[in-house]
Amino acid sequence: MSVIARLEPSALRPEQELAVLVERATGDGAVVSFTGIARARSERGKAVDRLILEHHPALTLQSLEEIAVEAAARFNVSHVHVVHRCGDIAAGEPIVFAGAASLHRRAAFEAADYLMDRLKTEAVFWKREVAEEGSEWIEPTDRDYSDRERWG
Amino acid sequence: MKVLFYGRLAEAIGAELEVGASPGSSVAEVRDRVAADHPDVEGVLRSKRALSFVGDRLVRDDYRLAPGDTLEFLPPVSGG
Repeated sequence: MSVIARLEPSALRPEQELAVLVERATGDGAVVSFTGIARARSERGKAVDRLILEHHPALTLQSLEEIAVEAAARFNVSHVHVVHRCGDIAAGEPIVFAGAASLHRRAAFEAADYLMDRLKTEAVFWKREVAEEGSEWIEPTDRDYSDRERWG
Repeated sequence: MKVLFYGRLAEAIGAELEVGASPGSSVAEVRDRVAADHPDVEGVLRSKRALSFVGDRLVRDDYRLAPGDTLEFLPPVSGG
């Protein structure tokens, strides 16, 4: 079992991360990955130019590592690979890559799903949506919290 | 006593603040002082999802601050 968890201050290239994960998955039968992209519209339908993801110098990476390690252990997958952007992210740019490799597909699907539900609610970031008329702090939605609760 | 803030707390208060609290003060006492000076973010400071850290370690409200400690107040995280 191995885990990669990384904070990415510049461009995130999901295709490169996926290539690394596939390369490491020697002997596995499945690789599942999710790429999150910064949306151009807020939950309330307002235009968004970019996101600013503020982070903590130590605790943010620690939170990514904890979530990745717990996903690997819980679903007994071979590899977990999490890369999260921080800083200034334009709408349309990738913001997160979360992937898992395992012997059979179900574990990898579940691990990727679990990774995202926890990252969306527990990763140590403070997110602002920036638009022409100003910026707005964003917190997890009720749906994000209920998705997280599915895993106990 | 040096206190660090993040997210909307940093926006309202600044990233760093020197609070005149004596060693042995509790986290709750320092929070009370900051909240009294910044009532606009009192709700964020007192949110049940807000966290307090000393030396990258989670601390409770009754933690007594030692000389040289830096206290960090984290508002509720947004997740990724």
